Amino acid sequence: MILARSWIVVGATIAVFAASVLISVGLAPAAPAERAAPLAIDGPAAARPWIRYGGWPNRDTSKFNSLSAIVSPPPPKAPRKIATPLGGDLPGNVGPDLSEIGKAGRDDEWLFNYIYDARVYNPETVMPPWGTHGLLSDSEIGDIVAFLKTLAKPAPFKSALDDPTRRPPPSEQRDNLDPMINPAMWAIEERAPALWNAAGPAGAACVSCHATPEQAFKTWAATMPRWEPRLGKVLGVEEFVARHAKATTGQDWLMESEENIALSTYLRYVANGAPIIVDLDSAPAKAAYERGEALSSRKIGALNFSCADCHSADKGAQKWIRGQWLGELRGQLDHFPTWRTSQQSTWDIRKRFQWCQVAIWADDLPPDASEYGDLELYLAAQNAGQKLSVPGIRH
Amino acid sequence: MINKPRVKIPDQIRKGEIIQIKTLVAHEMENGLRRDQAGKVIPRKIINRFTCSFNGKPVFACDLEPALAANPYLVFSVRVDESGVFNFTWTDDDGTVITAEEKAITL
Repeated sequence: MILARSWIVVGATIAVFAASVLISVGLAPAAPAERAAPLAIDGPAAARPWIRYGGWPNRDTSKFNSLSAIVSPPPPKAPRKIATPLGGDLPGNVGPDLSEIGKAGRDDEWLFNYIYDARVYNPETVMPPWGTHGLLSDSEIGDIVAFLKTLAKPAPFKSALDDPTRRPPPSEQRDNLDPMINPAMWAIEERAPALWNAAGPAGAACVSCHATPEQAFKTWAATMPRWEPRLGKVLGVEEFVARHAKATTGQDWLMESEENIALSTYLRYVANGAPIIVDLDSAPAKAAYERGEALSSRKIGALNFSCADCHSADKGAQKWIRGQWLGELRGQLDHFPTWRTSQQSTWDIRKRFQWCQVAIWADDLPPDASEYGDLELYLAAQNAGQKLSVPGIRH
Repeated sequence: MINKPRVKIPDQIRKGEIIQIKTLVAHEMENGLRRDQAGKVIPRKIINRFTCSFNGKPVFACDLEPALAANPYLVFSVRVDESGVFNFTWTDDDGTVITAEEKAITL
């Protein structure tokens, strides 16, 4: 026996965002529920008060819109009068020219107001209202205007990859069901079966009623989230697991707990291959869908972005923001919960929602917030027909 | 919760064949350079040694350093001349030794 060769592979991470351009298919009505599963309906299904995850930004964004409150300052009614021309001190020349805005014929006042709050000229803009939201001071905006006026030559791209119009969109090629590749599979193989068989304080285990989950739940997760009349809100898999386990086995598997994520991932895993199809037939489900649609276009946070601003094809979707690709809403759900190599943990869709908000400087909500239920229902409807492939693996 | 280490060895092996062995162990590989939210250094805790033996004889071993990412994935090649049993160990900074299930192969 001779040792031939050896090498070490240090986990390679490739930045990828799901993106798909499939054509939307119609929503067929889901089969009527058989017998309603028991649910604990008192109290929340997640920790209260909700405390943002450790390591996430802690900036105060309470004076901006969130999905549960509308408090952002209004746009100005008209452009401000300012003393012109504006000038910056000691303009630098280190950075490359970015555009030819300097010879576009825009005067200082127009540029100032456009940066201060572009909504005075274009109500449909996606640019953050840097001035109105206090992100930049008047003098900082003045400096930017002075800089922009100096830009008169086209900026060359250093390489083909540098040019966002020619940069290929990312695609995920890793085998997400291989435990050697996707650590989220470890929960499927070890943790979830152990939890399934563990008796809770009430004496029962999941397996007491659900002996063959692979058969019983072959499509269930693909029909979630679902309007739940007993709670008056939309329940996703994660909240259902928390409330159903509490009511039956007595287990306290709050949303975002390690146990909840393991089991929710497992329940979506056993529905792999099933097309997403949510029930929008009842009047309250329709109303929830409409609320979700409205929330998806509500501008929130200090940066004043809506879901649609980044993930709707007529706005930012199918484009690059810095080096990150913005996918459409369609394609953003089938792989959740997903392993995130950059975070070394499994994220469910609610945590992804929460991060979207924190990233645009808005307050996040508890994972069981009814707003997230409405939004998840809307998102699932946009993804109708997409087949579950869980757990996913993404950057 | 400790996940069991994972090892992949080809199913069918011929005498004298050079086979590829893939191993994966769940470990945070805390490099000792990061600070927590209070500014305190998080102590180093990594897998510092990996060994693979065949029929009791070492066939591959390596030292692992703090620069390695979490969940070390090691791939190496071994020539197999006889039937036998592979053993795998990962040694933690704290002295803990993680052992994979024995893998028996038959030529």
